[in-house]
Amino acid sequence: MSHVAIVDYGINNVRSVRNAVEYCGFDPVVTHDEDAIADASHVILPGVGAFGDAMTNIRARGIDAMLERHVREKGKPFLAVCLGMQLLAKTSEEHADDNVAHRGLGWFDADVLRLMPNDPALKIPHMGWNMVAKERSHPILAGIRESNLAFYFVHSFAMRCNVESDVVGYAQYGQSVTAIIARDNVVATQFHPEKSQDSGIELVSNFLRWNP
Amino acid sequence: MLKKRLIPKFLLRDGRLVKYVRFFENERAAGNPVTTAKVYNDYGVDELIVLDIVPSAASRSRVVEIIERMSEEIFMPFTVGGGVKTLEDVNMLLRAGADKVSVNSEAVRRPEFLREAARTFGDQCMTVSIDYKRISPDQASVFIDGGREQVALDPVEWARRCEDLHCGEVLLGSIDRDGTMSGYDLDMIHAVSRALSVPLIVSGGCGSLQHAIDALEAGASAVAISSMFLFTDHSPIKLRSHLASRGLDVRSSSSSRN
Repeated sequence: MSHVAIVDYGINNVRSVRNAVEYCGFDPVVTHDEDAIADASHVILPGVGAFGDAMTNIRARGIDAMLERHVREKGKPFLAVCLGMQLLAKTSEEHADDNVAHRGLGWFDADVLRLMPNDPALKIPHMGWNMVAKERSHPILAGIRESNLAFYFVHSFAMRCNVESDVVGYAQYGQSVTAIIARDNVVATQFHPEKSQDSGIELVSNFLRWNP
Repeated sequence: MLKKRLIPKFLLRDGRLVKYVRFFENERAAGNPVTTAKVYNDYGVDELIVLDIVPSAASRSRVVEIIERMSEEIFMPFTVGGGVKTLEDVNMLLRAGADKVSVNSEAVRRPEFLREAARTFGDQCMTVSIDYKRISPDQASVFIDGGREQVALDPVEWARRCEDLHCGEVLLGSIDRDGTMSGYDLDMIHAVSRALSVPLIVSGGCGSLQHAIDALEAGASAVAISSMFLFTDHSPIKLRSHLASRGLDVRSSSSSRN
């Protein structure tokens, strides 16, 4: 059986993503080697840390070009999580120097902006369990009841999509927070499915069985 | 909006799950932490807190091993603490599978450490654990070193200072009520939650479903519960459905696999 590639771009805690893939009965490989990504059945881009550092590491390792070839051109199923999702945007204002936004991979016509809830009592980061309301259905949500679409979020920035049809679901936190986006063979979640108990594991399992 | 959280709190001594009354009295063994964590996971609790109460180099490696084993089968946020003094301690626990690391005595002894850890790992990774005791009817004091040493700090002021030092949340524990199942210290919860803008987890005293409601209504974002789950028939499922029936915003109790 072929493996699942978890893209290693120098962040140190991918243990729970790896454990979740294993728990679903698949073989995870944490890697930034092009052959390992080429041979994988599915690719996951995890994410913890800062946007600018992540993009620097991705470019330094040539991961952007590898993902372009194997995910965008060849259509390998791809899941990006949390910061991984944000990296798919065109720009991010996270810790931007001199108001010049960081450039992301640009796969989605979207920008990453600081959360600005309309209620000053709401704390940043948006941290904890929140509900996701579906804008449309998607195979990674198959079999998960709407009342169980509660997922674990930890983030201070969020993606704003300019193409409404890219959005699969939003959470509400004093503003609409883009929670799941998808197009073709690419899907991404702002929350951490690997920390979201049964619903999260169900989502990961759906992804690993997805062949768009 | 964010859900109110139900969080079992595990105290470990040499890698075994234990429970006391008022921190030192009446030690009871409470089972294997990994097995118990799996049971709670099936109950759909929202997070787990794991604290090593007699930390040493040997117990740290047991804790790391326990967290590694938990994270293989349990997919929810873990907060881990006990004897955390250095950035390397924090890093080791995060790598083992912790999402947040709890700091207690070292934050009091060296507040700059908290700021440094938050800067290195992110505010959301750092929880400050604050244990306190009532020392007179209208005065409370922070205690460190597992409740052994009193320090000249007021819990409300110290909590606020920790927020200034960039902690991501505060775990507030009443030593007087620990293990007594006599109800939370609602006045203190009210005072601390009003002083903070980061989430407040409260611990010490939960013995009934109503106690949890009282604490959440007093301003807590989450209730940490130990004795009630370990020693009574109030399971997390029962508590969750009770809270939901009383209009509190908690996660739906049914598992997606049911």
